[in-house]
Amino acid sequence: MIPTPALEFRPILPEILLCTFAIVGMLYEAFARRPDPVPHLAIAIVGIGPAAVTAYALWDWSGPSYVLGDTVAVDRFSVVSRFVLLGAAFVGCLYYTHYASRDPGSFRGEFYPLTLFATAGMTLITAANDLIVIFLALELLSLSLYVLTGITGRRRASEAAMKYFLLGAFSSAFFLYGVAMAYGAATSTKIVGVAAPGIVQALAGQTGSQALALLAMALLVVGFAFKVSAAPFHMWTPDVYQGAPTPVVAFMGAATKVAAFFALIRVFDVGLQPLTWDWTPVIYGLAVVSIVVGSVVAIAQRDVKRLLAYSSIAHAGFILTGLTAANSTGIGAAMFYLVAYAVVTLGAFGIVMLVSARGEEQTSLDAYAGLARRSPGLAALMTVFLLSLGGIPPTAGFIAKVTVFSAAIGAGNWPLAVVGVVASVVAAYFYVRVIVYMYMREPAEGIESDDGVMPRIAAGVLAAGIVVLGIFPGILTGILEPASIVRW
Amino acid sequence: MLIDYLPIVVMAVLAGVFAVGSLMASSMLRPNRPNPVKLSAYECGNDPVRLPSGERFSVKFYLVAMLFIIFDIETIFLFPWAVSFRSLGLFGLVEMAVFIGLVFVAYVYIWRKGGFDWSAGEIAPNEADEVVERERALFTRSEQEVAKPPDVNEWQGAGRAG
Repeated sequence: MIPTPALEFRPILPEILLCTFAIVGMLYEAFARRPDPVPHLAIAIVGIGPAAVTAYALWDWSGPSYVLGDTVAVDRFSVVSRFVLLGAAFVGCLYYTHYASRDPGSFRGEFYPLTLFATAGMTLITAANDLIVIFLALELLSLSLYVLTGITGRRRASEAAMKYFLLGAFSSAFFLYGVAMAYGAATSTKIVGVAAPGIVQALAGQTGSQALALLAMALLVVGFAFKVSAAPFHMWTPDVYQGAPTPVVAFMGAATKVAAFFALIRVFDVGLQPLTWDWTPVIYGLAVVSIVVGSVVAIAQRDVKRLLAYSSIAHAGFILTGLTAANSTGIGAAMFYLVAYAVVTLGAFGIVMLVSARGEEQTSLDAYAGLARRSPGLAALMTVFLLSLGGIPPTAGFIAKVTVFSAAIGAGNWPLAVVGVVASVVAAYFYVRVIVYMYMREPAEGIESDDGVMPRIAAGVLAAGIVVLGIFPGILTGILEPASIVRW
Repeated sequence: MLIDYLPIVVMAVLAGVFAVGSLMASSMLRPNRPNPVKLSAYECGNDPVRLPSGERFSVKFYLVAMLFIIFDIETIFLFPWAVSFRSLGLFGLVEMAVFIGLVFVAYVYIWRKGGFDWSAGEIAPNEADEVVERERALFTRSEQEVAKPPDVNEWQGAGRAG
């Protein structure tokens, strides 16, 4: 008899629910007589809602910290990430339902199952305690996102999907090679082992050559840096953001970054904790390059989706800045930043979707000229999101930047904080330029705003959240504080 | 610790020596009588068919290949499970049922979406014009090239005569 590990499915119940309802949605799509977004949306919400409830039930988990043969960790860290990711999936589904109603011919019911599958991969990657499970979850979310990128079948979208797929497959190979090296170094793929020593225990007990462990670290950095779009592994980001349908970008931009960063935190701050002195300089370098490249190149962009893509590269750098601290302060700062960033990204791309009723082609800066006169509500919401991206009070983006910089300074990395602050000033230029276009230019001719109500409400709620978090950050930091201590 | 990997290095060296050595040995020992038929892909009499207009296949073949892989992988998992069915017990049975159920869902989806239908679903409705144009251009070009006899047969015939 081959022994099976103790089966405790409650910690992965959110993922099981998401996958189940993704399959239900897939079968519905196969048998539906005519394309109709409403049942699809209902199925997706029925999956996401209970998944959030079961995730919440894990907040006060009293069972073992690692379940299913030490492959899945149960901690508040993963509960926080699940909430953010499920929220992003919900907003993404709302956006797509509206987006599809503009052009019913382009509606693809597969959006909802694919989003649920991607979310299942994302939530699993943040809870995974085994590099193989991380890889599996990474592939689940990546493959779903490749298809989502090209879901409209338009030329731009297909091109973006192809680029994303080729580069993504390449980076997955790097990651997998890193996993193999980590196994070579530690004879385990578990990050923390309970039954047998995991990577952290093996590395902590090692003397002598660490060549294999360092090689593993380098390859894992490449794999993660691609997913979080940190420079110099960012090349796909602008093309994919520009080409993919806007609701997909909203979901992908917000959720992928959260999922990949949470997994990165667990692998580096827990698994490679004995190598902290070796990986912090790498993260430091990536942070500097990402911040500078993202902020400087964004100045030259005239397409708002590309601009937000480069801004996302810069934000990856800011989050890495917090992680150079390599302690629970840094992790807490990065988590706060990620939550704020996810909310802002979802909101900003929602507005991008609504700025023009004809959607995909009109994402250039000229389409934003005079938006305040055309639809003042949209312009006001966009202003809130842009100010938050620029890190200007009283928005959550400001608090997020302050916390990551103070974490970096606390760890003695003050030159990095200086680079970050200077780059923030540079970045303020292109964020404010969009605001100037919206408020001080004559309205562009022949562009009509989309009058969708549901995405407006969603974006309004997100903007309110940004301002509330900016004024009362304690609401979130109180939740994040117990979650930022990743146990091992 | 690296010494443990020595057998792999030895194996790689031996493989290289064997490959190079056998090629060199045969080139020194064999009689040298070049003949065009020897260069054809199959010496058993089937003429290789050169595809029209370079190396293009209908994209449908790729779909079939992808669908094949789904069921191929299913079999790959079924075999080891069948071999160790008794030692895996009820847990293995349930897991395999879940796995086959998932593949079956994929099968139902493909079937309902017309994935097995050779002639249906060629062109997405929102891209019709562009695709039709492209296909038409491709089709006319390949027809022209088919009309020209491929040069494969020429030397094939010459080979037989010689």
